[in-house]
Amino acid sequence: MSLLEITDLDVHYRRRTGRLHVLRSVSLSLSPGETVGVIGETGSGKSTLARTILGLVKASAGRIAIDGTDVASLKPRQWRELRRRGVVQYVFQDPLRSLDPDLTVLDSLAEPLRIQGAAGIRDKILKILARVRLDEALLDRLPGELSGGQRQRVAVARALITEPRLVLLDEPVSALDSANRVQVLELLKELRDAGTALLFISHDLGSVAGIADRIAVLYEGEIVEDRPSADVINAPVHPYTRKLIRSVPTLRRADRRTPEGIPA
Amino acid sequence: MFRRILTLPTGRIAVGIIAFIALLAVAGPFLAPYDPLEGGAEILAGPSGAHWLGTDYLGRDVLSRLLDGSRVSVLGSIQVSLVALVAGVIPGILSVYLGSVFEWVTLRLADTLIALPFLVFAVAVTALLGNGIPQAMFTVGIMISPLFFRVSRAATLSVARSQYVEAALISGASVGWVVRKHVWVKVLPPIAVALANTAGIGFVVVSSLTFLGIGVQPPAPTWGGVLAADLGYLSFRPWAPLVPTFLIMATVWACNLLADAIRDVSGEAGRALLLNRGRGHVPARTA
Repeated sequence: MSLLEITDLDVHYRRRTGRLHVLRSVSLSLSPGETVGVIGETGSGKSTLARTILGLVKASAGRIAIDGTDVASLKPRQWRELRRRGVVQYVFQDPLRSLDPDLTVLDSLAEPLRIQGAAGIRDKILKILARVRLDEALLDRLPGELSGGQRQRVAVARALITEPRLVLLDEPVSALDSANRVQVLELLKELRDAGTALLFISHDLGSVAGIADRIAVLYEGEIVEDRPSADVINAPVHPYTRKLIRSVPTLRRADRRTPEGIPA
Repeated sequence: MFRRILTLPTGRIAVGIIAFIALLAVAGPFLAPYDPLEGGAEILAGPSGAHWLGTDYLGRDVLSRLLDGSRVSVLGSIQVSLVALVAGVIPGILSVYLGSVFEWVTLRLADTLIALPFLVFAVAVTALLGNGIPQAMFTVGIMISPLFFRVSRAATLSVARSQYVEAALISGASVGWVVRKHVWVKVLPPIAVALANTAGIGFVVVSSLTFLGIGVQPPAPTWGGVLAADLGYLSFRPWAPLVPTFLIMATVWACNLLADAIRDVSGEAGRALLLNRGRGHVPARTA
């Protein structure tokens, strides 16, 4: 059974000038342990897709099932109960904004567990810190006192602390410099290898290609291509996908293509 | 927070003056050398060893009247601030969370209260409810509450749409949790600033009302009342209004100074002021 099953999802916002369609009949599924990249440019509806899965945006039509539960019909109270189980978690683009500036790392990491009412919070935090390779001494720091990479690893750790089966990553490395980007990507790979399903949303094909099993291309609110990563990269079908691949910086393209036998 | 305020010179001055006024409010009636209501033989006397600040038109000791009146002035100001605080902050935070109908009603109520001239309204309400400091101060507190409403609503709005609140919601947090763990800390500093400001306004209002004879029956002394009596006999004792005026001004000034100090030390910039002097970077406040 799929962990996440999206069928014919429509999302539109009401504007004074009429309806603004953000997502049109989007269908996407994720099996347990699978990593799917969602690629699209700014305004293609990537973030809306993630926010709709999480219930932060209401779906206009269609069906979203998380672990077999149809979430479209959930009442706020049922949503809270589902979220408290910690099955799905979310990592934001900018860790400086997604971590409360007045909470220490310890409090930020403990929050999902405290909401659950879980026991053994400190042990779980120490375990997760080791996993994201952060020093224990950082626990008393505020987000403003951390480097960008440390901050994003704290944000990832907060998402992992409830041992989710699915993590939605919304541009998790876009706000980071290249050294930190590599660190966080490595961390995500480990996560994938440990069997957590990832939905990796990005505008940057380069950061998704190395980690995703499948890539879905989102263009103007529609999924125009949804195939294994290698196929999408080597033999793009949709003109938009071809444009995306052409726009990846040349050096990296040469790097990636040569081993697969395709002349640059 | 308090320790941080004391790191600022202005904070120390403000706290010093306010502590002195508070001391007057508590101990004033006991320190008064004479009965503030008892007239003496000397009428409109100048300062002397027996009467440091002279006597008024009924021969009452002015120092005793000021000391005895400080309690009414301070309590009145505290009452105004607390009523405004409770009546403003609670709907201010809730207006963000309780849906559009509640939001609309509270916003229009706040607009209405701002539009009414509060001193005149307080006079009208005391005419309706009876002449007394609690009635007058309660009314003024309600009239000033839009200040707290707007401050707490604005702070809550900026936090409510932030990503860390969304992160908490995604983990299953309830609205109550979000307010307790995230909103409250952010709303507190601006509220503290508004509170210090209102305390200053409260002093002016108590003094103004008692100057007009509203809230307190004439023989009972207040700072505003003493000032009013002094003004009636200006030709005999031209310097007399200076003392109650100075007391009122110093207190209001100290409240405003404290408000400034709280604003300076709150938020991340304030934390840096105390903890990180010269060490580490101070991030710009976001969201």
